[in-house]
Amino acid sequence: MTNTLHRRGTHDSLSRDYVIFVTTASGINRKGSGPKMQRFLRLALDEGPVNIGVNGKNLITGGDPERMVAGITDDSHPTATFSNPEAIRRLVGKLKEEDLGISVTISALTDEVEGILRSQGIVRHSIEHCLAVLGRTERLPTQQVLEITSMCGHGCVSHNNARKMIDWTKLGKLTPRQAATYLARPCACGAFNIERAEELLTQAVGMA
Amino acid sequence: MLIDKEKCVGCGNCVPVCAMGVISVVNGRSQVNQDECVECNSCYRTLRSEGLSPTFVRAVRWVLRLFHLEYDAPPDVCPTGALTPPKLEWPRVLRSEFSDPTVKHSSTGLGGRGTEEIKCNDVTGRLKEGEIGFAVELGRPGLGARFLDLQKVAMALAKAGVFFEPKNPVTHLMTDTKTGALREEILNEKVMSAIIECRADAGRVPEIFAALRRVAGEIESVISAAIAARCGPDGSVPYLDMAREAGFTLSLNGKTNIGLGRPRFEERQQAA
Repeated sequence: MTNTLHRRGTHDSLSRDYVIFVTTASGINRKGSGPKMQRFLRLALDEGPVNIGVNGKNLITGGDPERMVAGITDDSHPTATFSNPEAIRRLVGKLKEEDLGISVTISALTDEVEGILRSQGIVRHSIEHCLAVLGRTERLPTQQVLEITSMCGHGCVSHNNARKMIDWTKLGKLTPRQAATYLARPCACGAFNIERAEELLTQAVGMA
Repeated sequence: MLIDKEKCVGCGNCVPVCAMGVISVVNGRSQVNQDECVECNSCYRTLRSEGLSPTFVRAVRWVLRLFHLEYDAPPDVCPTGALTPPKLEWPRVLRSEFSDPTVKHSSTGLGGRGTEEIKCNDVTGRLKEGEIGFAVELGRPGLGARFLDLQKVAMALAKAGVFFEPKNPVTHLMTDTKTGALREEILNEKVMSAIIECRADAGRVPEIFAALRRVAGEIESVISAAIAARCGPDGSVPYLDMAREAGFTLSLNGKTNIGLGRPRFEERQQAA
């Protein structure tokens, strides 16, 4: 699962893009982990995420966040997405304090995450980077489109729909927020950063 | 994906939301290129069914046309609920398992494209000091890939001496993990993306880099390649110099396992 890796963007734009999620290991610490993961998401909700994901539903499609929390079981993989690094810093502090015993991963600028961890007295355990995109790269769409669509790592936000939403925003048929919300619908994991998409769409209108 | 031709009113909302760009409107009805469709169900999940009668919608549109008017439906609806996910048989069912993140793999019981890789490495110890992990994802972003291309890449990596992750769904489709060969009957199946997960001792990394570069020129899609490792005791990243020396520029962003999982792998080892 590399669904939150390979997100495209400038350093500035990515500095407002943080995905945090918890994972349990089958046969080791999964059994009985549901309440711990519920606690994780409750703590995350207190910090004002821009999107969340539970059991294939996100903030747009999932309805009441409290009901989403209640639906978390041992087999869930709850995710929360933030634009604000301070929210992540506070959340990491709370997670360290509560010591839930489940693995926590943050997908974001690695240096920023390293700084946040050090401020909380944590040394990172493992790390993963995008090494390269190889092959028929000439078939890929523009960077502007990829910056939006790569926020759904499972590829469910289509390049063509991103182009349509950019066009409709430029035409004034939708606000950037409305277009970002439409784009977020198919991202089942809640990793699509709606606020960043809104920002990217606003920039696209400025370039018109 | 199937589209009910009796229900479809040709609004075209499904065309742009198709992640593979394989839905088109022909003679007033949407149709899916079944060979290129990866059964991701993104269209079905994105477009809410309004449940309107097709006859009613067509009549309203006919009346509007008389007055030279048009009605743009909201972009997230299928007015008549014409999208119909089909029941899939082997090997086509692989398309859905590898493309729809809400569907679990029958081989592993997991959803998504791969395994937990570094996400619970603090607990599983899957990647140990001195080992480098790779997640070689074909088809991403947004192009899709056929298993024929996956086989080419898997075979190239096998020759470079990698160990394929046993719990990964692509590994489950291999007939021989020493060569990376996949089951013959699946080679023409197309998926949104699929990840070959493997690891090797750090000494093999230059050979793996070379294999990736070489095989990338032989495939029809793209490879989004990721590299992973357990950090040093001070949080250092073991593969930084290896990547730089090979001419790769690592992404600014990435995934960090912050090490809060319990029991730690080392604790379990000691207890054993």
